[in-house]
Amino acid sequence: MATSRLISPALRYTPLAVLALLESWVVWDLLAVPDRRWIAALSLPFVVNVAFLVLSRASHRRWARWIGLMALGTTYVVMHAFVLGIQLVPALLFVSVLIGQVELRILAERFAPLFLVTLTATQQRQIGGALLRALIRLTIASILAIVIPLLAADLATAGVVPVTTIPTALVLSAGLVAVVLIIALLPSLEPKAE
Amino acid sequence: MRTPLSSGLAAASMGFLLLGLALRNWQVVLLALPPVIVLALGSLAPPPRPRIVAVRSLSRERTDTGREVDVELLIRNEGGSLDLVEIADILPRELAVIRGTNHAVVSLEKAGTLRLAYTVRSQVKGDFVLGPVRVRSFDPLALGAHDVALDLRSPLVVAPAMEDLRRAQLQPRRTRPWFGQVPSRRIGPGTEFWGLREYVAGDEVRRINWKASARLERLFTNEYEGERSGDVVIVVDARRESFVGTEADNPVEHAVRAALGIADRVLAAKNRAGLIVQRQVIDWVPLAFGRKQLYRIVDHLVHVKPGGEWRFSHVALVLSRFFPRDCLIVLLTPLQDRDALTAVIGLAARGYDVAIVSPSALEIERRLRADTEEDRMAYQILAMERANRVAQLRRVAQVVDWDPATPLALALRRMTAWPRPA
Repeated sequence: MATSRLISPALRYTPLAVLALLESWVVWDLLAVPDRRWIAALSLPFVVNVAFLVLSRASHRRWARWIGLMALGTTYVVMHAFVLGIQLVPALLFVSVLIGQVELRILAERFAPLFLVTLTATQQRQIGGALLRALIRLTIASILAIVIPLLAADLATAGVVPVTTIPTALVLSAGLVAVVLIIALLPSLEPKAE
Repeated sequence: MRTPLSSGLAAASMGFLLLGLALRNWQVVLLALPPVIVLALGSLAPPPRPRIVAVRSLSRERTDTGREVDVELLIRNEGGSLDLVEIADILPRELAVIRGTNHAVVSLEKAGTLRLAYTVRSQVKGDFVLGPVRVRSFDPLALGAHDVALDLRSPLVVAPAMEDLRRAQLQPRRTRPWFGQVPSRRIGPGTEFWGLREYVAGDEVRRINWKASARLERLFTNEYEGERSGDVVIVVDARRESFVGTEADNPVEHAVRAALGIADRVLAAKNRAGLIVQRQVIDWVPLAFGRKQLYRIVDHLVHVKPGGEWRFSHVALVLSRFFPRDCLIVLLTPLQDRDALTAVIGLAARGYDVAIVSPSALEIERRLRADTEEDRMAYQILAMERANRVAQLRRVAQVVDWDPATPLALALRRMTAWPRPA
């Protein structure tokens, strides 16, 4: 069937691999917690995360997947905010990878099982192009999601990253204002009535 | 349209911000930025509004239950290029897709076309509408979608399957003055020998009985039993009480199928047929002859859905006002309650000739249930109750207790006479 030719196994299994990476990351950090009481307390949301993700995998329930991912994020944030302390670069990386995992899964779902019609070569090329464009945008979003907060942090602490200069600070400020304006003014995220 | 992901990102961002402020931790506040940045990038490339034109064609607009219908949907993109667009041709849930698909996710360039071809089949009768066509254009970051519904609707009438009743003896006992195929117990034009009388001027030569004439040395003419037509009114009990089982396998569906078979048989034998359906309203078709009347009856039967709170005795009111007293009433009811029983006894008391075909709800229910000891016991008790009801009715009417899993013709053949002898 056209489906198997269209969707590479890489796209199909990448979200799963990224999720496994995030889980291992949280387990690794959990093992670094010195206090046993904290380990016990943090294990609870982690177990909830694993249980709901397994449930979502078995029963294809969307709400279970959402709860699982929320529990994973909660475990990480609470662990670092209250026990280990937040290291900015790994924390930003973790949040960005988590967002990227959700985006990748949605892309894989959209491009995999719904192609029930037999597609022509031209249509397959178009879909391939669309997939590539979506992946490029996702990559750009992920990079910006790490770089902009880092530069903002650098500005705040003045000199964590050696590239901090007055022009960088000005560009960054302009960028942040632009982001806020875009979010405030663009109506595309509002529900549109037909 | 906002997707759950965009709401989730906004909520996560807000959560980080509040947590950071509560803990007075600027690093946690900065974690609010990645979701906001993804949202901002998403808003820079909103999903385009699809401008789609669609044309649907059906291989047939009227069909029977179980017969396949080919559907072709041609879609053309009149707007700008759409990276990812989901197209779904919405079908009534009664229609099952047998081959092909009514749903696809594709990329459509400007002026690009897509052809969706699929085959549907319905196991239940009904008056269905295919459509509308729903089109959803996706944002590459899955943060928004743009929905459009194309108001493209195609009617599809699915008539009930016809029972083959060619060998069933279905004829009214009382006849009308019109020529037909029912022996009328009166002298007239027909094929069955009735008696002899003396020849009178004007008698056809081919009717002279030469043997009798030679023996008695006078001319004698054969007389025949006149064959005339009668009236049959089919009454379908489609009250809510009569619905037991699944959508395709319930007494009302089977009664409709039987009604169509009986109407076809009655009309083919040159009788008049009429119809009364008790559903949410009492619906009727006046008596008439011929093929057109069969189509009228089909049109009414297609719309039969179980429902309504009316008492069954209201049928008697319609019968007495709109139908002649000397017609044969064929009542199709599962005999689920005593209301039908009382109504039949009332009709018989008023002089109507009543025959009952009863699709057994008990047999339908038995097939749907697990075969446990309790179920078997319950079945036996209910079967006895039903047998008692049927026995009561047999005093006033002919009753055919029909298991819908078997052909109706077989059940009718078990009857000794149709209708009961005078």
